[in-house]
Amino acid sequence: MSMLPFFEWMGRLRLSAFFLESVWPTPIVQNIHLIAIAVFAGSVLVVDLRMLGRGLRETPLAELARSVEPWLIGSFVVLVLSGIPQMTSTALKQYYSPFFWWKMQAVLIGVIWTVTVRRRMSMRTEAELGPVWPKVVGLVSIAIWTSVAVGARLIGLMG
Amino acid sequence: MVRSVFEWIDVMPMSIAWRESLNGYPLLLTAHVVSMGLVAGIIIFWDMRLAGVALKQVPLSKFQATMFPWMTLGLLINAGTGAAMVFSQPMRYYPNFYFWMKNGFLILALINMLYFHARIGKTVADWEHDPVMPFAARMAGYASLALWAGIIVAGRMIAYSGLVPAWWIGLDLGS
Repeated sequence: MSMLPFFEWMGRLRLSAFFLESVWPTPIVQNIHLIAIAVFAGSVLVVDLRMLGRGLRETPLAELARSVEPWLIGSFVVLVLSGIPQMTSTALKQYYSPFFWWKMQAVLIGVIWTVTVRRRMSMRTEAELGPVWPKVVGLVSIAIWTSVAVGARLIGLMG
Repeated sequence: MVRSVFEWIDVMPMSIAWRESLNGYPLLLTAHVVSMGLVAGIIIFWDMRLAGVALKQVPLSKFQATMFPWMTLGLLINAGTGAAMVFSQPMRYYPNFYFWMKNGFLILALINMLYFHARIGKTVADWEHDPVMPFAARMAGYASLALWAGIIVAGRMIAYSGLVPAWWIGLDLGS
């Protein structure tokens, strides 16, 4: 089943027309998106570095993960909300861009990884986890979200 | 004076070669954005710790000792790729309103940082375990958050070289 009709429908939304016909909304949501990226990256890195045995080593992993979770979830919500008008207003460009699909698949994998394996692991006591698995989970997390950022930037640069 | 430096770089063979490279700019810009996540992500959490809105249980000196090396790594990549982009297209950035705005915010953020470490930072050991920092430290945190938001926004807006005040266009720096 092709998703092309869905993307054509998104392109016809009034929201899309509004963003295409006015000057400032697009740069404004792009900037909100970029600031949310920085908050999201910080929230991810604080815990991932900790899993790698670096960074804030003296704070227990579970405590650290719990205390940044509101920022992780909050910034992700802002990313989705500020991403929607950028996607719908350029729907066909996105549909035909290989980097858009690369990014979205990486986001999907990242979300699943974060709410399942990574979350379950970060909430345990470290003695149970041993030295190896937290490092693997943290590295995979950093790799997935880096590939999201790379794919996203290339949509704009390479089409 | 400033213009002649940018023009001097513009005709350097290496600048021209980088400018004409097909993949150079996409690679630099992508590395710039990814390393921004490392730099700004850590700085934002440092600032939010100072402001008293996140990571309240982490002592500042521990944060500085364990997270600043990572921030510095990000900063080296970030500043390096940023400088390389300016080096490869100096006459694109010279007339750009937001390029200078971003540099202005960077200087203000640096001043804020130096001021913090020279003044408030000296007494860190006395209050770093408090969940709420002294007023001056909280203000330094909020100021840095605002400045880094400004740096990120001005950086993104470089792509919108036409969305600038009329008086700036009147300066006619591009010709």
